[in-house]
Amino acid sequence: MEENMKIPDYMWETLSREEKDKEKIDRPVMTYWQDVWRRLKKNYLAMIGLVTIILIFLIAIFGPYLSSYTFSDQDLEITNQSMSMKHWFGTDSHGRDLLIRVIHGARVSLTVAVVASIVNFFIGIVYGGISGYMGGKVDNIMMRIVDIISTIPLVLYAIILMVVLKRGLSSVILAIGTIYWVRMARIVRGQILSLKELEYVLAAKTLGASTWRILFRHLIPNAMGPIIVTMTMMIPSAIFTESFLSFIGLGVSAPKPSWGSLASDALGGLTSYPYQLFFPSIAICITMLAFNFLGDGLRDALDPRLRK
Amino acid sequence: MSFIIKKGGKRMTKKGLALILILTLVFTSLVGCGGQQQEQAKVENEKVLKWNLGSEPKTLDPQLNSAQDGGHVINNVFEGLMRDANGKYEPAIAESYDISEDETTYTFHLRDAKWSDGKPITAYDFEYAWKRALDPNLIPEPSEYAFQLFYIKGAQEAYEGTGSLDDVAINVIDEKTIQVTLTAPTQYFLELTAFYTYMPVRKDMVEKDPQKWATNPETAVSNGPFMLAEYNLGDKVILKKNPNYWNVDKVKLDKIEAYMIVDQSTSLSAYEAGDVEVIDEMPVQEIPRIQKEDPTFKIFPQVGTYYYIFNVTKAPMDDVRVRKALTLAINRKQIVEKVTLAGEIPATGFVPPALYDANGKEFREVAGDYGVDVTKAQVEEAKALLAEAGYPNGEGFPELDLVYNTNEKHKLVGEAIQAMWQDNLGIKINLTNQEWAVFQDTRHSGNFTVARAGWLGDYADPMTMLDLWLSYSGNNDCHWNNPEFDAAIEKAKTITGEERFKLLYDAEKMMIDNQIVMPIYYYTQPVMVKEYVKDWNKTPLGHWFFGYADIEKQ
Repeated sequence: MEENMKIPDYMWETLSREEKDKEKIDRPVMTYWQDVWRRLKKNYLAMIGLVTIILIFLIAIFGPYLSSYTFSDQDLEITNQSMSMKHWFGTDSHGRDLLIRVIHGARVSLTVAVVASIVNFFIGIVYGGISGYMGGKVDNIMMRIVDIISTIPLVLYAIILMVVLKRGLSSVILAIGTIYWVRMARIVRGQILSLKELEYVLAAKTLGASTWRILFRHLIPNAMGPIIVTMTMMIPSAIFTESFLSFIGLGVSAPKPSWGSLASDALGGLTSYPYQLFFPSIAICITMLAFNFLGDGLRDALDPRLRK
Repeated sequence: MSFIIKKGGKRMTKKGLALILILTLVFTSLVGCGGQQQEQAKVENEKVLKWNLGSEPKTLDPQLNSAQDGGHVINNVFEGLMRDANGKYEPAIAESYDISEDETTYTFHLRDAKWSDGKPITAYDFEYAWKRALDPNLIPEPSEYAFQLFYIKGAQEAYEGTGSLDDVAINVIDEKTIQVTLTAPTQYFLELTAFYTYMPVRKDMVEKDPQKWATNPETAVSNGPFMLAEYNLGDKVILKKNPNYWNVDKVKLDKIEAYMIVDQSTSLSAYEAGDVEVIDEMPVQEIPRIQKEDPTFKIFPQVGTYYYIFNVTKAPMDDVRVRKALTLAINRKQIVEKVTLAGEIPATGFVPPALYDANGKEFREVAGDYGVDVTKAQVEEAKALLAEAGYPNGEGFPELDLVYNTNEKHKLVGEAIQAMWQDNLGIKINLTNQEWAVFQDTRHSGNFTVARAGWLGDYADPMTMLDLWLSYSGNNDCHWNNPEFDAAIEKAKTITGEERFKLLYDAEKMMIDNQIVMPIYYYTQPVMVKEYVKDWNKTPLGHWFFGYADIEKQ
């Protein structure tokens, strides 16, 4: 027996790679997120959107340090000047550099975007998750509250907040933050309602997992796709809401610029100095488009049914 | 079976509904076309003036109104004893008047004039209107402009409740003669009788609906060149020629359409498109362009001052040095030339130019500039004052809120001043805008430190600006209380001539020395009127009058 086991070394040969993998029937192992990233990369528009968003973030963060002007530097001797080498976007009614004001406006808009999405993420997910998983009476009551909140018009709500609190960016963020999670909560609830009927939830229950564990370790990670898509789609709408509120005079207080207040300031001189309206509006357009492209791309990439 | 029938039936009704809907749409559009054609046919032989009033007037009731927009309409619809037109005061409903030797008793002889419904205008109508303005229990609210009548003996007491309305010295001698006795000689009393608070109203009409009689064409019986034809809430007021007006031969327009376009850009584009023919508000930033391109753009002087008020009861504004420092630290010339752009005049005092003293000298010139240089910010002096008050280089100075009512121009001025204070004194200001009604409450209740304000004269005398700051004046939003100032103004109201003006000069000096306000500029009136509109009138006090206007289209 022992002799049989002794095969001389020369008789062994290294198996070629082809031979080795011949029997394998799967493709390279990829996690879900790697796959998403791979498919997102193939989507041209989504990548353009992503790059643009990153660029906007970089400009918003570092732009003000590179400029020799600040957003409130006023020089009444050079009011309403057209585009020049000194002032690339021209100057506004108080002789302030429009470029730096648009960049500063990006800061305001992105702050609102980030805060709105974080609030969305936490409140919306927890609220929708609990409502969907608990079901029954709890669900009913929680959803009716959501219904009530979503019937209050945002502008009215913002105006009331401004009366109670000080006017400014924080109030805008608070107004958007306390209202915008509603849609997210609804979407998460819908997802959870369908997911909780699946077998792995039953298995977890049988093994004695707590409600919280099931909700946060099993259900929500599985609903992540739609959640992320909703979030990217809601960021532009939050940015737009902020611009709108500032446009009607409820947003940031002067001299702080936001894209909306820049646009509203420019409106008076529309026929004389159209560039003053052009730049903030184009900034809003580009940002909204970028987020929408990325959102569309993510939706396709995250959809398991489109997985190849 | 039954299910199918039911479904079929539903479909039928749906179809039927759709058909009805389509028919209605077609019909209404046809009707609409017909109406338009009719209207156009009418327009050809009618002289219609289209004018942008700017905003929805709170009221059109002569005694209740205290706003510019309502005043414009009232000035064309009603007429007082005198009329301010073509720069001078001429007898209107009064045919003539006598003034007693001591200049305290005025007797007006009314002409044979009629109300728009054909009834004669009597002295009783004036008596009713004036006592109405003084009635402290007036429905829906007491008149805010009652103080315009306080020159009449017994008026202030009646309004304040210490006297009776019956004791007010308004005396109807007969149907066509009215006599008033004043507490003291008042040189501008004739001018006052042209003011809207003094215009007559019809007792029977007012009593039909005390709240809304003035905006209902059926009850708005008036005595001016025009009468109310239509009132469309938030859209427009239509006035038509009053056939019973005593001077109807001079009235050439058949109709006035007064629009309520609030937005200045919209107003300007409507003018440029020819949809309105008269505007007096345009976006500030467009003014340089209009000035170059449009010869119909004109700037007229106006008796009024644009200023910021300090709440003198609130720290740090209770320190006169702080108020003075803030006043010195702005460049007024730059503000009017680069920001407001409508040819405004930088202000150093409170009484605007074009008001004259007893010697015929301009009040403003005599009173001087109180050491304020309008061409530059006096930074050194301002800093020294601020340091003296305990805030060297603005250190330790609290963040202030500057309140203004929501308006493009106020924002522009506010931002400019904010930056000047920041750069010159190192103090931080937050701009807060409030809706007009809220803003008026804020100012009135003293819930502010610095606020924007403006005051337009109601008659051509410095008193119209100065009696604002009496400690008991309803418009003293600075909450300033100075017995010396009160005494000077009260005394000035009872005497005439040079001595009176000496008191007025002293009074202005007192309020500027205390710097309860920071004057910024004297108002002007930019207007745009199409060249084919002739003989229109805008008084230096800012009232439109179209009674003698004409349209000459080729």
